[in-house]
Amino acid sequence: MASLTSRRRLASILAVVVVADVVAVVLASSAHAALLSVVMITIALGGAAAATTPGLRAAHPVTWRATLCAALVAATLWLTFFLPATTNFNLATGASMSIVLLGLSFLTGASGQISLGNGAFMGVGAFAVAIWANHHSSTPIIVTLLIATACGAIVGLLLGLPATRLRGPYLAGMTLAFAVAFTAILGSFNSWTGGDSGLQLPVALTPPRWIVDLFHSGTEILTTNSMWLADISILVTGVAFFFMANLFASRTGRAMRLIRDNDVAAELVGISLPRMRVLAFTISSAYAALGGGVYALINNAVSPSTFTFPLSVTILSLIVIGGIGTIPGALIGGIIYAYSANVISWITNNSGLNPQGNLASQLNGIIFGALLIVTMLFAPLGISGSVHRMWRSRREHRRG
Amino acid sequence: MISITGLNVNFGAVQALRDVSMRAETGKITAVLGANGAGKTTLLRTISGLKEPSSGSIDFEGTALVGQRPENIARRGIGHVPEGRGVIGEFTVEENLRLGAMTAKVNLHEGLDEQYARFPVLGERRRQHAAKLSGGERQMLAMARALIARPTVLLLDEPSLGLAPLVTAQLMHLIHDLCASSGLTVILVEQNASSALRIADNAVVLHLGNVVANDTATTVAADDKLRQYYLGMVE
Amino acid sequence: MDPFLTSRFVTDLLGGLTNGVEYGLVALSLVLIWRSTGILNFAQGAMPMFATYIGMGLLSYHVGYWPCVAISIAAGFAIGGVTERVLVRPLYGKPEINPIVVMVGYLIVLEGVAAAIWSTTPRSLPIPFSPIEWQLGGKPIALSPFDVYVIVTGVIVMTAITILFQFTKLGLQLRASALAPEVSRLLGVRVGRMLTLGWMISTAVGTVTAVLVASNFFTGLTPQVMDSIFAFGFIAAAIGGLDSPVGALVMGIVLGIVLQFVTDYLNSNSVIIVALVMLIASLMIRPSGIFTRNASRRV
Repeated sequence: MASLTSRRRLASILAVVVVADVVAVVLASSAHAALLSVVMITIALGGAAAATTPGLRAAHPVTWRATLCAALVAATLWLTFFLPATTNFNLATGASMSIVLLGLSFLTGASGQISLGNGAFMGVGAFAVAIWANHHSSTPIIVTLLIATACGAIVGLLLGLPATRLRGPYLAGMTLAFAVAFTAILGSFNSWTGGDSGLQLPVALTPPRWIVDLFHSGTEILTTNSMWLADISILVTGVAFFFMANLFASRTGRAMRLIRDNDVAAELVGISLPRMRVLAFTISSAYAALGGGVYALINNAVSPSTFTFPLSVTILSLIVIGGIGTIPGALIGGIIYAYSANVISWITNNSGLNPQGNLASQLNGIIFGALLIVTMLFAPLGISGSVHRMWRSRREHRRG
Repeated sequence: MISITGLNVNFGAVQALRDVSMRAETGKITAVLGANGAGKTTLLRTISGLKEPSSGSIDFEGTALVGQRPENIARRGIGHVPEGRGVIGEFTVEENLRLGAMTAKVNLHEGLDEQYARFPVLGERRRQHAAKLSGGERQMLAMARALIARPTVLLLDEPSLGLAPLVTAQLMHLIHDLCASSGLTVILVEQNASSALRIADNAVVLHLGNVVANDTATTVAADDKLRQYYLGMVE
Repeated sequence: MDPFLTSRFVTDLLGGLTNGVEYGLVALSLVLIWRSTGILNFAQGAMPMFATYIGMGLLSYHVGYWPCVAISIAAGFAIGGVTERVLVRPLYGKPEINPIVVMVGYLIVLEGVAAAIWSTTPRSLPIPFSPIEWQLGGKPIALSPFDVYVIVTGVIVMTAITILFQFTKLGLQLRASALAPEVSRLLGVRVGRMLTLGWMISTAVGTVTAVLVASNFFTGLTPQVMDSIFAFGFIAAAIGGLDSPVGALVMGIVLGIVLQFVTDYLNSNSVIIVALVMLIASLMIRPSGIFTRNASRRV
């Protein structure tokens, strides 16, 4: 690494970090807050510095991704310490949704297939977490989330194996049928899934004592809880994004993109089409389930009425708007999801619509459906994809 | 008469036809020759409106064809037997012919009788699915389907492809007779230059999208350089 | 007093037949559009639903039942045509997922707008025939005048479609446009118009189905009324083979009957699950469909 960073650069980075730390200590409200700030800022700035080291991306891409993720996660975590409860809650929700979107982005972008059942897969993960927690409440969160992810992968394999081998809309239709069937499936296992009212998690997710003491002693429980939820979500999201970024860039990821663009060529090169497609679908379902699991933890309860077919369509809209096949697109979609309810109620209140009326209650569906159509027709690359394309053509323009 | 002036056709960055100008005289057979990739099929597809040129004009009886839809160009009486014949395998022989007669103002039964008389084999197989026909029979079906609409112009894209020499000879004979008897204007694209030149009145030779020769068939056939380089005719 | 006719077996058989006809009609519409445009129309349930609301909404203006049905079907034609020209045209030649995504968005928008205009409260429609089952010696057979109406309508529609496609000039052009669009153009067929017409016919067939489905006394007309029918219709079409109209119809009826047995011997929740399992099994065993001739569907 020494060959990639000059001594002068190291010195200036060190200087910036020290200054930032000193400022944080001075402004901190308590010794504990100061300590935590210093740690977070060092990681964030250090990670950012490492990530922007020229040449690192090309030479050690995995390390680069790790430092970038670490920097972003640390920066966001640090933010959560100061944000109000509602914002943290939205952040947590957005994070959980972005994990789901990441899976779908991968599926559509990397392998050109589409799933209309991600809402149901989210439900698989959410209910897996809820059911497990109700029977084994002492399992650490990570294990529970891994179980949820595994459940998603298994169901994904079950559905994907028959459907992805075929050209055509079979996977789309299959996942649609699954999405429609999910409520009935939950209903069939009433005793496990709690029927119409769903399940509560037995133990709410609360921060351990030492964090509470460390930072927010004296602050409301709600604020600390929301912060903790946001932190967990962000950490899981960071890890999920890290793995996905590596997958995108790996041989497997490249193979999948080749299949998407030219499956005849892919076959000639010896790539097993069915296997890759099943793999892509299994991974995307696993991610959806993971997102659902986090969602369950955040809300501390799961209900069958959440994971409906319209949710699957909303998920699709979010990633289409954010940018199919991109990683930033998943983040953008997550943020949109977190604040869409607010935006829509703002529209309802400020446009003279009757908030109890028919139009108001349907606005969510109509807007997302319309955005889906319009985006697909006029800007199929989504926000992230279009920006990326503009960047690239500007760079080529400058070169040429 | 079809008159083509300064035609340029691109596929993205690849230029398939470069400043092509030629004429297909009424009632005559104009052969369009050249190696694979010379642009012959592109030329026919552009005339029929399946491909839009980047510049140039195509004139037919005083009307400009460029920019018109393929189905409208066909309805003007320009028949086109495409590369590979385009026979619809899932249809029967008779359904293919009915389709050909559909948009032309001809009496269906008269038309069918006429084509069955000209191609008795088709009459025998009229209820069979076209997928079951041999190569030569499919060529006949494709031609009959084009002819049933009583076109004034006939574009033929490599009709001899995949056919035995004897069948090819019969086919060329048929084309010549048709032209002579009904005043049909024919543009005949062929890789098999010798058989085409035998029945053609005029010939145009294309090479990588450029016109390298445009003269009477006899002149082109006698030109040794042309025969060697562009027509692959080794004597 | 024939015990056979009132037996459980025959009851399920007849009960499933009515549903099966409905699934078969939806499957048929899906196959028609798939064959002519290569697009799976996910809004195949929602578009007819909307047309039905338009037509049946006039009932409150004292328009008669049959005129309302006719208007619904006309609305179905119109919606199909407009949809093809506005939404579908730009999508030809684009990657496979684009039309899927757009039609799914369209489905949600249609359901949302219908709910906004007419609310989600189920509306019961008047029906021209009694839904009360006939009795044989005091025990009911699973067939009512309304069921016969559904079956007869289904048969009429299927026959009409078959005649149209197999025996008319228009049908020849429609089929040619689907099988070989470029060659058809060279023969003077206005392929673009044929495609639009294909969508119009398909949506009209769907609307007939929607009117029948929405006339069900117990569910009534809601924006979501066609959702599960669509799922079953798709499953029937997929199992029968997306290329085969006959397969779609037959599989639809078979599916309806099988699922009726499931409802009877298990419970109503299991119905969609069993259908899903059937789809999975069919795709594993005979992916191209039971009734298709060419098996070139594999990746």
